[in-house]
Amino acid sequence: MKYLRAALSLLFAGGLTFMLNRPLGPVPALGPFFSPFTGFWQNAEKPVNTPPSDIKLQGLKGEVTVQYDDNHVPHIFADNDEDLYFAQGYVLAKDRLWQMDFYSRVAAGRLSEALGPLALEFDQYNRRLQLPEGAEKVLEVCLKDPISKMITESYAAGVNAYISQLTYKDLAIEYKLLGYQPEPWTPLKTALVEQVMKKDMNGRSDDYRMSNMLAKYGKEVMDDLFPNYPSEESPVIPSGTKWDFKPLAVPKIPELMQATLAAHLNLESENPGIGSNNWAVHGSRTATGLPILANDPHLGLTLPSIWYQVQLVSPTVNVYGVCVPGWPGVGIGFNKDAAWGITNVGSDVFDLYQIKFKDKTQKEYWYNNGWKPTIMKVETYVVKGLPEAVKDTVYYTHHGAVLYDEGKKSFSKEIPVGHAARWSGLFTGNSLLALYHGNRAKNYDEYRVFLSNLEAPGFNVVFANNQNEIGITAQGKYPLKWKGQGKYIMDGSNPANDWQGWVPNDQNPSVRNPPRGFVSSANQFSADQTYPYYLGWKFAPPYRGLRINERLANMQKATADSLRLMQNDNFNLEARQNLPDWLKILETDATVKSNPAYLVLAKWNLKNDPDQVGATIFERWTRELRTAIWEDEFNTLDEKGTPMMYPTRDRTYQMIKNQPTAKWFDNVKTTNKAETLNDVVVGSFKATLDSLTLKHGPINPETWAWGKAKSTDIKHLVSALKPFSRMDVPNGGGANIVNATTEDGKGPSWRMVVQLDKTWPKAYGLYPGGQSGSPGSPFYDNMIDKWAKGELNELVFLKSKGEKHPKIISTTKIVKSEK
Amino acid sequence: MLYILILVISGIAQFFGPWWGLPIVCFALCFWRSDSAKTAWVVSALAAATLWLGYAIFLHYVTQGVMTTKITQLFLQKLPYDAALIIVTGVLAGIVAGFAGLAGFYCRQAFAKTA
Repeated sequence: MKYLRAALSLLFAGGLTFMLNRPLGPVPALGPFFSPFTGFWQNAEKPVNTPPSDIKLQGLKGEVTVQYDDNHVPHIFADNDEDLYFAQGYVLAKDRLWQMDFYSRVAAGRLSEALGPLALEFDQYNRRLQLPEGAEKVLEVCLKDPISKMITESYAAGVNAYISQLTYKDLAIEYKLLGYQPEPWTPLKTALVEQVMKKDMNGRSDDYRMSNMLAKYGKEVMDDLFPNYPSEESPVIPSGTKWDFKPLAVPKIPELMQATLAAHLNLESENPGIGSNNWAVHGSRTATGLPILANDPHLGLTLPSIWYQVQLVSPTVNVYGVCVPGWPGVGIGFNKDAAWGITNVGSDVFDLYQIKFKDKTQKEYWYNNGWKPTIMKVETYVVKGLPEAVKDTVYYTHHGAVLYDEGKKSFSKEIPVGHAARWSGLFTGNSLLALYHGNRAKNYDEYRVFLSNLEAPGFNVVFANNQNEIGITAQGKYPLKWKGQGKYIMDGSNPANDWQGWVPNDQNPSVRNPPRGFVSSANQFSADQTYPYYLGWKFAPPYRGLRINERLANMQKATADSLRLMQNDNFNLEARQNLPDWLKILETDATVKSNPAYLVLAKWNLKNDPDQVGATIFERWTRELRTAIWEDEFNTLDEKGTPMMYPTRDRTYQMIKNQPTAKWFDNVKTTNKAETLNDVVVGSFKATLDSLTLKHGPINPETWAWGKAKSTDIKHLVSALKPFSRMDVPNGGGANIVNATTEDGKGPSWRMVVQLDKTWPKAYGLYPGGQSGSPGSPFYDNMIDKWAKGELNELVFLKSKGEKHPKIISTTKIVKSEK
Repeated sequence: MLYILILVISGIAQFFGPWWGLPIVCFALCFWRSDSAKTAWVVSALAAATLWLGYAIFLHYVTQGVMTTKITQLFLQKLPYDAALIIVTGVLAGIVAGFAGLAGFYCRQAFAKTA
């Protein structure tokens, strides 16, 4: 009896301990997780955090000093470049290891190992986009050059020096919650992080929707409603700039441009692209007589933030700016003499080809009047929570991998079944070498060296220095396309549809010191129609670009602060161009005219400020108006219908202005009535008020205010971890506003203004997040409130390690360990 | 005495080792010296709960509850109070330690010469 009792009690106690040491479904192992000695309690940090003052690490050559300022920005001083990038890896891992690891898993198609079956389709899509293969190619190029090899290997060693110190207690809260461990960092992972960014910029396509519409309405209608250039545009390279090169011959347009569609898909509503602003103002327009440069890249706003501020100092460099965790060097920033900034070009570098297979085995496909073999590859996915690995067979054509096989469900609604994608993810370039040169560039020639190593994705790289030189280049590796190539899905069997070469690097749209005294970009068309190459038919709507250029053209004696205010410009150019005409139409309806909402809109100051009700009405109304005009013919909402998209805002407004009797105003779904422009404008306005009332109650300056209605959420990378997100950040702006904070959580992910100087530059900046990736740190989201108000921090740009700066609050020495 | 011993020894064990140092120490100490099943369970549970509660409250206090609130929202949405999470922490330690202590006592009865 007593033995039985002993055995049973021991079994129970042991079993209980064992159970609590294991994850239970989605719940982490409760024992280690709740223990205040090891669990989440250890992830809480004290309000003022002072890092330890001495660290010994293996792998260093000399000694590194890291000075942290009061915003937890590390200023890294190293005796040589190897140690510099080693230390960058180390400090990044210390603050953002989980995030770096997460990005590399996304691109590797290995997220389901950590998150379970939910992420499997996403993984499969990313692998079929060939993100991992792209990374391998990037790495191959990177390792061939001694400088980029040194950078990526030193960085990885620094990250690993941090990882090797970790025990469960020190792991990021996300590891503890999701129940997995960090792996050693490798140069391949750095290349994978680069792939994630490429996908973010260029990894989507309208080709399928475009092809559906072409099939239904024919080429004439498509050319009319989806033109290759907007009616009004202020391109990145000013109109009239002479192209001082002899262009290559552009391939001839083949007879049959598009494939006949066989597949069918569900749809997803149109997705506003990721945008950004940058500009540089020449000294002739500034108060100091020297250039000022500004940049605010608009990306998905997340926590931890995509950016991390850092100052890197070695005998070869002294640079300050932001980097992406996992990616060494500084991506956007400045040095003593020069500054640079980056926006997305948004050219069409993602094309779909329809593939005709010989049979269901998909072993051969039709190309150039013959059967060509595919390459088969079996992908294996280890999925958390599944007993067995999932296998997926992928077929490769010379265009690229077949994204979906006939009959399989699609992950991305943009891609029809049975089609291969060709996109810039497989471009290489050497971004680490590019940044190495960019971080050290003082003059225009060195800026060109920086660009020559930058291939993908296309970036509008703006540059300015203290010799009063400014310039901008839409840098990228662009396929040499026939006009309109890739606007629709192409027949993959016709060689004329292949990409047939590249636009030479030195013929990319570029301008240096233009007479107007400033350069800028806002993802609009790179050049006017005299540019000899076709880069794409659709870029970001022209409004941000037009507004920026109109303000810069009127600016004299610009200061860093006037450019900061310009980054926060909430003026709605779309409204200025169209609202007066539309209000005249609304006036014709007596019930609308007496409606208080109409009066608010008529008196609106045309600014998307957070307290403006007019902005709410206008933004919702433009959405409703486009739906009212186009949805009956161009389906985007009915999931069972054929997915299409609406003509651009620009084209729509042009039609309202100049073609008031166009047949498209009639709602073809109402057979007893032919709707006119007036019916559509008045009807959509009433519908807007109805839905706003339904959502926010009767009109009221509090609840209908734009800041409230828009509601900007900055979510954690794993959106299920809601308490780690910041919801409803009060601010203004909008997708087509210079302050491009959108409703779906995209916006200025880093704002920077650099005032160049002969002796030492003055710079300002911040991003909506914080330097630490730990939700338990006071530096997790400390910059968000300032960001929402449009303020900037003065950046601490140290001259030397010995400089006494009042904002430096702690110093860490990293010395080499002998063991 | 047992209470103090568990507090100190398991505290040291958990500071340097994994969390399951707690049930092992409770088991071992109750195997070594405990008078009854009830004492073994209650003293182990109380000592463990004191340790985890105390440390958790300390961390909560010095970090101004920065993680407490977030983890509470994540797990215990129906009990949106920081105290709930702290209590759960203590109860969890108490239960594990209590049963480990009890097992220690019963094993002592079965195997130890002095029993």
